[in-house]
Amino acid sequence: MRRLAFPLALLLALLPAAAAAQKAVPPELIYQPGQLKPVDSVLAVKVGDKAPDFDLPATDGSRARLADYLGKKNLVISFVPAAWTPVCSGQWPGYNLAKEIFEKHDAALLGVTCDNLPSLNAWIVEMGGVWFKAASDFWPHGGLSARLGVLRPEGVSERALFVIDKAGVIRFIDVHDINARPDLGQLAKALADLK
Amino acid sequence: MKPLAEGQAFPDLAFKGPISDAEAKELGVAPGKPFAFKDIKAQAVILVVFSMYCPFCQRDAPELAKMHQIIKDRGLSGKVKLVGLGAGNSAFEVNVFREKFALRLPLIPDQDFSVYKALGQVGTPYYYVLARSGPGFTVVEGHLGCVSSAEAFLNQALAKAGIGGK
Repeated sequence: MRRLAFPLALLLALLPAAAAAQKAVPPELIYQPGQLKPVDSVLAVKVGDKAPDFDLPATDGSRARLADYLGKKNLVISFVPAAWTPVCSGQWPGYNLAKEIFEKHDAALLGVTCDNLPSLNAWIVEMGGVWFKAASDFWPHGGLSARLGVLRPEGVSERALFVIDKAGVIRFIDVHDINARPDLGQLAKALADLK
Repeated sequence: MKPLAEGQAFPDLAFKGPISDAEAKELGVAPGKPFAFKDIKAQAVILVVFSMYCPFCQRDAPELAKMHQIIKDRGLSGKVKLVGLGAGNSAFEVNVFREKFALRLPLIPDQDFSVYKALGQVGTPYYYVLARSGPGFTVVEGHLGCVSSAEAFLNQALAKAGIGGK
C-alpha cells in the first residue's frame, strides 16, 4: 500500500478518534495504509435483493448468522477494511455514541472485517469494546464480502454499509470511499426509511 | 501540520454551519447564514476542535458542558464565548454529540474539514483561546487533549485573554 500525503496528515491529525469512549488505541499501534483507491470492487447485489445467508464467527464467541435476525430485527452490517487502521478505528467507536439511533429503529448492528478473529478481538479490546457484535469474514477469506461484491483485490473489504430489513431484503447500500467515514446521518435516514 | 502559534492572528474564516437560531443569538451573528469568525460578539473565544468519533472528545465533553455553565454562572457570557467545531462531522453527527452530552454551547459542523484544515489539522480535542484584537482575534493559547478541570482551564484562559473573572 502506498504512503500518503495530505489525507494521511488529515487522518493522523484525527488519530485520537481511534478508540472507544473510555479507551484509545495508542497512535503507534495504528497502521497507516495510505491513500487508497476509493472503491475497488463491483457490487454483486442491489437494493431490493435478498441478502445472502452468512454464518461468521464473532469476537464474543458466538456466531453471527443472518437467520438470527430474520423476523426479529433490522440489521445494519458495517464492513470496515481492517483493524488497526485510522478511519476504521474512529468509525466503530462513533457507533458507540449512536447506539440509540439503532435501537430507535429496531436495528441490530453487526461489524464485519476480513481480519482473523484474534486480531479483530485484540483491536476491539484496545478500543475499549463496542456494544455491537463484531464478526470475522477471514475464512473462507472474504466469503461474505465477495458474495456481496465488496471484497477488494488486496483482500480487505470496502468500507460499506448494508441495511437489511426483517424480511432479509437489502434496503440500503453505501459502498463508501475507503478513505473516509460515511455520514451517520445518511445511515440514520436509511433506518428511518424502513418504516 | 502544526497548530496556529500563540501570538498569531486567527485566520479570517467563514463558518458555514448550519447553526441554530439560538446558537446564532449566543454568538451575536445573523441567524441562518454563514458567518465570519471575527463577527462573533466577544472579547474572547474558546474554540474547541472536536469530533463526534473521537473518544478523547467523548471523554472531554462533560468538562466542556461544565465550562459553558461556569461562564454563564459568572455572568461572562457577553464577554467570552465557548464554541465547538466538529471536524469532519456533519450537522447530524454534531447533533448526536450535542444530545449525548447535553451540550448547550454552539457546535458548528465542518463536514468537509475546510475550517479544520485552516486551523492546522490539530489533534482532537484541541482548544484555541482567542482574544479580541482589533477587528479579529489573536491566538493566546493552544491546548491539545482533554481538560482535566473545566474551572482551572477557564481561569487560565481568561487570564491569558486578559479578562477578569473569579
